[in-house]
Amino acid sequence: MGANGWERGKRTANRGSPDRPADKIQALRTASPARGGEGEKVSPDPSQRPSPEPSPGLVRGFAPFAATLLVLAFGVTALGAGLLPTEWKQPAFLVALAVLVVVAGVVFESLRRTTASAVSARREADDLHQSEEMLKVAVESAPVGLGLADSTGRWVLVNDGLGTILGRSKLDLAQTSLLSVTAPESAPILQEGLDHARSSSARWEGEIVQIRADGTHVPVSLALLAVRHDHEEPQLVLVQESDISETRRSEAVNDALVAVRHAVATSATWDQAAPSVLSALGARLGRDVAQFWSLDADRQELKLAQSWQGDDPELADFERTCRAIGLPPNDGLLGRARLAGVPAVNTAVSPQSEPALGSAAWHAGLTEAVAFPVVAGRDVNGVIALFARHPQAVDDAVMTMLTTVGAEVGQFIRRAQTAQTLQRSEADHRAIFEHAPIGIARVSAEGDLLEANAALLEMLEHDLETLRTQAWPELLRAYDLAAGRASLAPLLAGLSDGGSVQVRAATGGGRWLWLQMTATSIPDERGKPEHVLLMVEDVTRVRETQDKLAEALEAQRSANTDLEKLDRAKTEFLSIVSHEFRTALTGIQGFSELIRDGGLEPDELRAYGGYIFNDAERVNRLIGDMLDLDRMESGRMTMRSADVDVNEVLSDTIARASSSNLVEFKSDLDPRLPIVTGDRDRLVQVVSNLVNNAVKYSPEGGTVTLSSRAEGAYALITVADTGLGIPPDEIGHVFERFRRVRSGAAQSIAGTGLGLTIVKQIVEMHGGKIWIESALGHGSAFHFTIPLAPETVAPAAQLRHA
Amino acid sequence: MTVLVADDNEVAQRLCRRVLEKAGHKVLTASDGQEAVNIALGPAGAPDMILMDVAMPGMDGLEAMRQIKAQKPGLAIVIASAHSMASDRERFLAAGADEVLSKPFKLTDLTSVVDRLAVHKAEA
Repeated sequence: MGANGWERGKRTANRGSPDRPADKIQALRTASPARGGEGEKVSPDPSQRPSPEPSPGLVRGFAPFAATLLVLAFGVTALGAGLLPTEWKQPAFLVALAVLVVVAGVVFESLRRTTASAVSARREADDLHQSEEMLKVAVESAPVGLGLADSTGRWVLVNDGLGTILGRSKLDLAQTSLLSVTAPESAPILQEGLDHARSSSARWEGEIVQIRADGTHVPVSLALLAVRHDHEEPQLVLVQESDISETRRSEAVNDALVAVRHAVATSATWDQAAPSVLSALGARLGRDVAQFWSLDADRQELKLAQSWQGDDPELADFERTCRAIGLPPNDGLLGRARLAGVPAVNTAVSPQSEPALGSAAWHAGLTEAVAFPVVAGRDVNGVIALFARHPQAVDDAVMTMLTTVGAEVGQFIRRAQTAQTLQRSEADHRAIFEHAPIGIARVSAEGDLLEANAALLEMLEHDLETLRTQAWPELLRAYDLAAGRASLAPLLAGLSDGGSVQVRAATGGGRWLWLQMTATSIPDERGKPEHVLLMVEDVTRVRETQDKLAEALEAQRSANTDLEKLDRAKTEFLSIVSHEFRTALTGIQGFSELIRDGGLEPDELRAYGGYIFNDAERVNRLIGDMLDLDRMESGRMTMRSADVDVNEVLSDTIARASSSNLVEFKSDLDPRLPIVTGDRDRLVQVVSNLVNNAVKYSPEGGTVTLSSRAEGAYALITVADTGLGIPPDEIGHVFERFRRVRSGAAQSIAGTGLGLTIVKQIVEMHGGKIWIESALGHGSAFHFTIPLAPETVAPAAQLRHA
Repeated sequence: MTVLVADDNEVAQRLCRRVLEKAGHKVLTASDGQEAVNIALGPAGAPDMILMDVAMPGMDGLEAMRQIKAQKPGLAIVIASAHSMASDRERFLAAGADEVLSKPFKLTDLTSVVDRLAVHKAEA
């Protein structure tokens, strides 16, 4: 049905319609302000209508097309409100819409009038004819798919545009219905639209998928508008369609890019981002498989790193196969994309066209492949490959998008790797800083403490705050002092790094440490020192060990020196002792020999015997003195301490010495002198020695004076002579062993040379002192002190002596 | 021949005098280095030989020998010392002594040294 009417109408239009529909619409709009009368039920079949007659009733016939005008107004309003899809805004479409609405109104009203009035039937038939002419022209020339369907969806009228969208000739299309060319998944939406159109005078719009003659699907935008008169059930539905597959594809391309960018923006690593990126590319671009093939380290192979595909087991097999193989980096679809750095397409994947992958793809039913490189700078990290079972359009927009994705993913991978490397490096450095066994401080260019690690805080027994505020300034001063400069800041001005200094510093706990501090300046990007890393080591133990070692070495050296001195002294002593003995033995041996050989006079014998005796005695004294001295010096001499009356000792000595009669003895003894504590025999030895000495060095007729008195807690005893005196340069050596005053007249005086040494030892053993006053030529005075017995000492006297 | 005995030890002086006079020499004595120098270089009764002790007060025997040898290099000087370590002997010879006699000595050693030097002097 309808086809005949369309055909006839077409013919009619060909006969008499104006060439320019736009002019006619303009005329219609101008001529139709009036409203039509009551509606009539009309047959949709134009063939049942009487033949229309030519105008004069044309203007009157248009007058009641109120509904039509309303629709027109709606279209214009909708356009103005921007509700219409972009392509609807095209002027041609607007014209078409207007025409269509008007024509629908014309048809409807014409039919109504035809049946309403038999009288005017002829005139109205003319009107109808006129309408058909216009309708035909308008519909035919509309650049979008237009059609009229009855309430069940059967086509009443279709145009070429609709045929093009659905891939059918107009005649073929006329045999179908709106429902039968709609994909099953869109049927509910379409039904909803039709229901809406029947119940409402408002326009319904939606997007559905329709089926082309070749079975392929095409997304369309659909607008439905019921053509009704007053409150009657609508008889016809005006259908407008446009192919939005191009829009859809471009939307999908945009969506895919947005999704990829989102995935990349919300991921830290490519491993995290890859699943989202691949599923976005695969799903949104209508592919079945999306894979990322990465170039291996030695750039010999592309290996499958990430894969996305549906649940199809065949696709899972494909993935397994892919994982097992390596693709050539310069050959095959993926290799070419990598090598060329631009996307490559194979729309007929086969074992022949793709030696490495083709067989597996073919088995999985994947016939189309698109590969594009993942590029970072001049590096190609890998290739993303999309596989599809059904060929998909790969237009410039897709290619451009894939190139963009490749570049962005490449940059992301590089960025992520760099970030990861930096993070790892940062983490490493952080770990070193935190856990280093030595103290590390980060110091600003101004010398402020920025950061200190746990080891430093522990070492210095501070928390960061007290270290910063209390200990740090002092530590820096110590550092600067040790480094020999004013403050740390100049370090930043280019003092050489790496130098270490050792400073002494107190910890928070008050311990003193030796710290070895090593500064390293850290430059900023422009090479200007930004801050300083100060490494601080506690070298206290090392330093102390060093110091002890140095002390020990010094002690050793000094001991060596002492030993050498001792050794020299010993050698010297031995030399002197042997000299003394040999000298004494010379007389003994020589005169003994003379006596042995006989022939001597008796007086000679007596004299020689005397020499021998004297020298023998001297040798004996020498040996005794040496042994005494040795015992005293080694502390092995025991003193028998007892109360001793010093005056008595002095008097006894004078009494014994006076027998020589060569000198005069005088005594000046303090009768109130308290007793002393001491070894009487030793004190006698001291006094005798000094007296003998005084006698020896006194000329004949000289005077030796012994005196005593209390001097504080001590008895002071003096033995003075009027003898030779001691040269000033020898006074200091008088008490040394074998040091005899040999100069001048003293040369012939014999002695062991140990007497005064022994005297000094005995006095000191008693806790006293001995010293000499002497004037050359006027005599000498030997003074010595011996402590008084404790109970005899007045406290004040003790103090005075001290 | 005349021998100067220079020794600060009176016993040693007497011993040497007794032995040398018994051997037929004339003996002069000095008690320190300076006295020995004075006698050796003096105008009258110059000794033919000196028996010189080392450790004497004032000028010691070595200094005296140096001064005497400087004037009379041919005057024989025997160092007779109780310094009798091995190194001492070398030291005395190096200082110019003609002979070194260690104290104590056997009397025959003293006479044979004097005789030997006397023969030497006679030959010269």
